[in-house]
Amino acid sequence: MITGLGALTQDTPWCFSQVKGTVEIGATEADIISTVEFNHTGELLATGDKGGRVVIFQREQESKNQVHRRGEYNVYSTFQSHEPEFDYLKSLEIEEKINKIRWLPQQNAAYFLLSTNDKTVKLWKVSERDKRPEGYNLKDEEGRLRDPATITTLRVPVLRPMDLMVEATPRRVFANAHTYHINSISVNSDYETYMSADDLRINLWNFEITNQSFNIVDIKPANMEELTEVITAAEFHPHHCNTFVYSSSKGTIRLCDMRASALCDRHTKFFEEPEDPSNRSFFSEIISSISDVKFSHSGRYIMTRDYLTVKVWDLNMENRPIETYQVHDYLRSKLCSLYENDCIFDKFECVWNGSDSVIMTGSYNNFFRMFDRNTKRDVTLEASRENSKPRAILKPRKVCVGGKRRKDEISVDSLDFSKKILHTAWHPSENIIAVAATNNLYIFQDKVN
Amino acid sequence: MVGGLKRKHSDLEEEEEDEKWDWSPAGLRSYQQALLRISLDKVQRSLGPRAPSLRRHVLIHNTLQQLQAALCLTPAPALPPEPLFLGEEDFSLSATIGSILRELETSMDETEPPQNPAAPPSPQNEVLPQPDPVFLEALSSRYLGDSGLDDFFLDIDTSTVEKEPAMAPPEPPHNLFCAPGSWEWNELDHIMEIILGS
Repeated sequence: MITGLGALTQDTPWCFSQVKGTVEIGATEADIISTVEFNHTGELLATGDKGGRVVIFQREQESKNQVHRRGEYNVYSTFQSHEPEFDYLKSLEIEEKINKIRWLPQQNAAYFLLSTNDKTVKLWKVSERDKRPEGYNLKDEEGRLRDPATITTLRVPVLRPMDLMVEATPRRVFANAHTYHINSISVNSDYETYMSADDLRINLWNFEITNQSFNIVDIKPANMEELTEVITAAEFHPHHCNTFVYSSSKGTIRLCDMRASALCDRHTKFFEEPEDPSNRSFFSEIISSISDVKFSHSGRYIMTRDYLTVKVWDLNMENRPIETYQVHDYLRSKLCSLYENDCIFDKFECVWNGSDSVIMTGSYNNFFRMFDRNTKRDVTLEASRENSKPRAILKPRKVCVGGKRRKDEISVDSLDFSKKILHTAWHPSENIIAVAATNNLYIFQDKVN
Repeated sequence: MVGGLKRKHSDLEEEEEDEKWDWSPAGLRSYQQALLRISLDKVQRSLGPRAPSLRRHVLIHNTLQQLQAALCLTPAPALPPEPLFLGEEDFSLSATIGSILRELETSMDETEPPQNPAAPPSPQNEVLPQPDPVFLEALSSRYLGDSGLDDFFLDIDTSTVEKEPAMAPPEPPHNLFCAPGSWEWNELDHIMEIILGS
């Protein structure tokens, strides 16, 4: 079970496990991973990329012969989820990039997931086929239907084993409900509905109905010139099917109760931290924009990620977060450059571990950070090919802010801002993490004795 | 890499490390004008074949408004008289912002392009002029001395533009089915009217 991270690096160091994806040469922009998600058991790990493809990895069963190695993740299914489209009315391309993947809880032998690009959500069924019906006598050897008059016996086909085939089929397509770009999807705990959120609206869907959705949040002003705030992320409460939260570009979070009214424009709770006047700059609003919001597994807390920090909020306290963690505060003096090169608009995600005791988020230079909420210790690790020897222990990294740089440290000016870790995922019950570094997927796990 | 910094921006970074508001007026002004230039650049560059990110646009737009407010507050230093552009510069900056916002709303909206697009014979509807750094500085220094940049975004002379009679859009059906196309048809005209008529 979950041991929590404890003393992060001393007791439970993180080790390299696997890396998926091509090395630099031959990588195209289509290969850039845009979302990563474990399913509810951790048996499956899905990635979506800019080219609209979904790749699902499955954890192999642990073998008695190799007890020192936990089950590895191998490719289980690959399919093209979304294709590029062209909106002829507006002369605009609709990107095929997969923005989010969310798994449905497993209810039978098949697996179901939702994948979305900017405009369209799709429900995919991934199922195994290991038998094939054989013995039809209605067709001749060339496959042509025989004349029924020549058939004198009725032969019932039998199922014979075949090589395992995994097929992915689109079961539902939820289209034409979003004018603006979808940034989030979230499956409700009732397992019958889910929501999709774009910049200005949130819609509620029933899985069975594709030609209708309920609009539950609409922040579009009557006069678009008055628009100053957009929705950046949204998520359902893990247990209360009537409750959800959405975050905004102004650093606020609203918690809504669908029982209160059909249109949840009036929030039940409003979370906002007062601004620190000493840190005020032209970029204060941009860096306060929340890029991700996640409920804890317990449902008691929410975590938000803005450009420089990760914050944990108690649902019962709206006026400030209970915890704030600095991800890369050394960038605060570089905001003008980061504005100029657009990095300030990067949207980093954040994740909880299974026991809600540790949180993780990405940074630049292929660094990612973990914060232990109990011990208040944090660590910076790097996803790189150099540290990719099997079971190699990841060495903590440190960024030198000023003054003398120690041997192992890297200075702020040497950071590679094109190498950004935006998407990470944590196994629901074990210390296994998946980190997307551009077109590579790294899997790390804690050291197994 | 945070590379590609022009010399001006590296100057900016040195100034920026001490982000308190006790800079010399000239230093502060050049910082703000550089930010202004960067921001306008961004908006223009992002109008490509793909629908622009609304979040990004809104954040840049809000930053531009902050810059406007700040440029109004900072006193204009005494500058030697510079050769000013005549005629079109009154409209150029506002027109640039206005047409950028208009293009953004046109591209994001669901409806068809307007059947009778307001096509005044003024330079506003031509290809967006690149914000020339020289005229921007001249413009802001001139404006700051006189009226300030109060109507930064709304300062479009409507007398040169024909107003299209726009129908008020029916109230969108919030609570039930999201049926695109039924009420947003008139939204574009509505938005155009707001921009041009304000």
